[in-house]
Amino acid sequence: MLFFDQLKKNDPQLRTMAVLVLGGLFVLLAGLWWVQVVSARDYQANLENQSYRTVRIPAVRGRVLDRNGITLAENRPTYNVGLYLEELRKPFEEAYSKKLGYARSELKRQSAAEEKRLHRRLTKEERKRFMLTAKEKGQIRQKARYEVASNVVTQVSYRLRQPLLLNPTNFERHYETRLALPCPVLTNLNPIQIALFEEQSSSRMGVDLEAQSTRYYPYNSTAAHVLGHLQRDDSSMEGEEAFFSFRLPDYRGSVGIEFGFDKQLRGTAGAKSVLVNNAGFRQTENVWSPAEAGENVVLTIDLPIQQAAERELQISGPTTRGAVVVMEVHTGDILAMASSPTFNPNSFLPSLSRAESQRMGELHAEKNRATQENYQPGSIFKTVVGLACLEAGLDQNDTVYNPGYVDIGRKRFHDLALPGAYNFRRALKASSNTYFITNGLHVAGISNIVKLGQRLHLGESTGLQTRQEVKGIFPSLKKVHAQWYDGDTANICIGQGPQAVTPIQMAVMTAAIANGGKVLWPRLVDRIEPAEAAAGMPPIIFPSSRVRDDLGVKQGNLKILREAMLADVEDSDGTGRAAAVPGMRICGKTGTAQVKNEHSQILGHTTWFISFAPYEEPRYVVVVMVEVEARGSGGVTCAPIAKNVYMAIRDRERMGTAKPETVAKAY
Amino acid sequence: MFDRALNERQPRLERMQLVALFGLMVLGAAFVYSATMVNESASSGPWYSQSWFRQIVWYALGTGAAAALCCADYHTLTRWSMVVYWFSVLLLAAVLFFGTVRFGARRWFDLGFFSLQPSEFAKLAFILAQAHFLSRPIEELRVVRTFWKAIGMMMLPFVLILKEPDLGSALVLLPTGLAMLFVAGTPRRYLVWLFGSVGILGTIFVLNVLFAPPNWQVKLEDYQRRRLLVYFGREYTPLSGAPKAERERLRKMQFDDSHNVRQALISVGSGGLTGKGWRQGTQNALGYLPRPVAHNDFIFSVIAEERGFVGSVIVLTLYGVVLFTGIKIAGQARDRLGKLMAVGVVTLLFSHVFINIGMNIRIMPVTGVPLPLLSYGGSSVLGSLIAMGLLQNVYIYRKTY
Repeated sequence: MLFFDQLKKNDPQLRTMAVLVLGGLFVLLAGLWWVQVVSARDYQANLENQSYRTVRIPAVRGRVLDRNGITLAENRPTYNVGLYLEELRKPFEEAYSKKLGYARSELKRQSAAEEKRLHRRLTKEERKRFMLTAKEKGQIRQKARYEVASNVVTQVSYRLRQPLLLNPTNFERHYETRLALPCPVLTNLNPIQIALFEEQSSSRMGVDLEAQSTRYYPYNSTAAHVLGHLQRDDSSMEGEEAFFSFRLPDYRGSVGIEFGFDKQLRGTAGAKSVLVNNAGFRQTENVWSPAEAGENVVLTIDLPIQQAAERELQISGPTTRGAVVVMEVHTGDILAMASSPTFNPNSFLPSLSRAESQRMGELHAEKNRATQENYQPGSIFKTVVGLACLEAGLDQNDTVYNPGYVDIGRKRFHDLALPGAYNFRRALKASSNTYFITNGLHVAGISNIVKLGQRLHLGESTGLQTRQEVKGIFPSLKKVHAQWYDGDTANICIGQGPQAVTPIQMAVMTAAIANGGKVLWPRLVDRIEPAEAAAGMPPIIFPSSRVRDDLGVKQGNLKILREAMLADVEDSDGTGRAAAVPGMRICGKTGTAQVKNEHSQILGHTTWFISFAPYEEPRYVVVVMVEVEARGSGGVTCAPIAKNVYMAIRDRERMGTAKPETVAKAY
Repeated sequence: MFDRALNERQPRLERMQLVALFGLMVLGAAFVYSATMVNESASSGPWYSQSWFRQIVWYALGTGAAAALCCADYHTLTRWSMVVYWFSVLLLAAVLFFGTVRFGARRWFDLGFFSLQPSEFAKLAFILAQAHFLSRPIEELRVVRTFWKAIGMMMLPFVLILKEPDLGSALVLLPTGLAMLFVAGTPRRYLVWLFGSVGILGTIFVLNVLFAPPNWQVKLEDYQRRRLLVYFGREYTPLSGAPKAERERLRKMQFDDSHNVRQALISVGSGGLTGKGWRQGTQNALGYLPRPVAHNDFIFSVIAEERGFVGSVIVLTLYGVVLFTGIKIAGQARDRLGKLMAVGVVTLLFSHVFINIGMNIRIMPVTGVPLPLLSYGGSSVLGSLIAMGLLQNVYIYRKTY
């Protein structure tokens, strides 16, 4: 090296020194290499760790629409006033130093007074009493910033002409834990308040409006059980970044469509990073992945029919316990699914009030009675038993004499039908227990009945993704071959005993009778559309008319059954005559099942009316179920409801597919 | 600007060193700018009152002072060396009584527009005086009295600076003095003895601070003890059986105390190979690197963060050039006086660079030692440039005529 050439002739001391200096520089070089090149990554991670806060930004939730595009669930912007603490940093400091000055001069005055009293200067030890400790300084600082923030809030309060208070505890907690985010002062401003706030935009030091998207159900309780509701849940979804310093409020569907299609509705949450300084105040923000709005879910529900179904179901009061299902015969599309008592999904946001929670608890209002409860079918099950008998070779004209009861083993089954001879048609419309028990036992046999029930997929879920389904109960073939008595069969024949169904299952059953034997998958969701229709993404369409099974019965036998059901409504002695609608030929079957407790005491009745119409070319299935405590029957309780629903359907048909808005208004 | 005083036959200046010094000054101005112009309140003042501009003024004044020094042969200068030495000792003593207190230390005279740090000048005065003293005939150095006198000359400013307290500035005197003794030709046995005893004392001192029970410990300022504990990665040990709150307090204190080192390391490390770009560093801008020290003692962190390993190598290279041209000047000096002066200046410079950069990467404890020419500060810049003037002086007058 250049220097060493010149040092050669010289003394060894200088060379030693040169070597030492060189060595020192190499030590530094090696150290820097280690820190800046080898472990750079670790330090960069450290840096990010301390100076970035990540914030999860929930996506705008997708809308839920009815089949004509009427919005059943949407989002509304809500506005909050937030305190931007980083803008108040300077006032915080100024207030602090002012307060500190006061405190110090006060202490000085005290110590001077003390000196005067003692007539000597205080010792160093004594003077310590008149100095501020770190803890006291911290308290002064805390007080100063609260005062500053509180003053700003007072200004806002003047501006909004509404008294506002800043809770010191909340403010301090926000300051300690969420400094990088604005501190909420007033949430959910009404339009007047927003206008007042915006009006005086000149002196808005440290405060601003934040917009937030909030779920809103414009028709309130309409279709509440289908839609479901949301619950607060800020956590990350699968496949999302799992670690966030802060999370903005987000919601997750807890039941209904909001639950079943939560993934699609929810969209993809975004994330932003907030650069914070050493004191934790926000410097800049950088959105590194914007939130992607959720997709829209289009239901098969027809709002006017849904509204009519709900209205009619609650005709005798909002505490009526029951359900109405309206389904298309050939497609399985659910046009209406009503359950009562009901609730308002808006009341869950931001959180359920105690009173409402109690009311819903007492009424079991959250339960979707169309799908979520097991009910005994009662006489409506005679349609299945009758079909099994006809298939087994029963002549519809053969009669069975009904003395008013039938004895099976040691048990007597009473028959409310008048004594006399009954053929198929008369037996169905009068709902004769004797006829169906006798033929069920001796013509069809329990195996055939169970086989037919299995083809109807009784005792199985209908596959609605709403987290509201029970499967029902239906005996298996294995069960009816062991430990099974004629009495059990007799019970099954009249829709009692070890079986239970849901209204939605009965709708599927009725549709199968009406459509020639196709057991359909009920369909509640028509399609999922991208949030922006123009985005180019094709919607995901759920096919309709998905056949789950076939009854495998002769069309002629179905025809006999349909005719008998028609007679039940149209004949003057039919149990379902209350459902008759002029100009619309309705086929129906009533049912009333006793609800007993474990001591065989009758607690009430489950009353049913299953029906489809028009007779010539069936299009609609209407299933009505009402739980009654006192006396009641399918014909008295449910058939009138069905009638009104059919009338609404008829009106709806006349209106055609007019503009959905006008349709909605008309109802 | 040096030419005016030069005679035709006189050789030129050590140009390479001047280029390196100029490079350091450019870097210094640029990164003092970067380190201070980060927040609005700092950059809102008039340009002439801002740190970077003041730094440039100090560069100009220092260069002027260095040039002025080069007008006279260093022999002429060293005639005054003892006067300068005692004057600086007087200043060091005076600062203990009349200095202003900042960060718990009494190191400055507040002159209004400028605060003078006498220790910066005392280092130079010590080099001059020591060089003058040791340049006597080599036989005299074998006399023990001479050796002790030299040691005494070193210890006097050392103790006074330690008293301020300014451990870093005091410590750099030791290698400087020792290097000068070594190069002057002090008999080896003295040096071995000296190194041995300093080494043993140092080790005992450190072990005492780290491990001794409280009432056996050397009396040290609390913050100094804590800095040493931080450097050696030791926990602040509370008295055994101390309550939990006390232990918690100590842990928090340790975390706070190691804050500067930790942040400096994060700055340096996160710079990576090529850095984030001038004025793009976040550590300083966001205040993680404490604002009061970012532009002076921790300026290297700012450079390393914004220019990366490449920048660090450039800085080291520039210092390397200055140091080795300095050693070369020592080798070419006309006499032992010149050689000793050069050695003193080189060692002083090296000690500063090593301690300062070392503390940024945690191989040295945190002490308030500025990085020559890069750190913001009038006294430091003036002192460094005057020292460089002395080196150049030795080079200019390297031949006897």
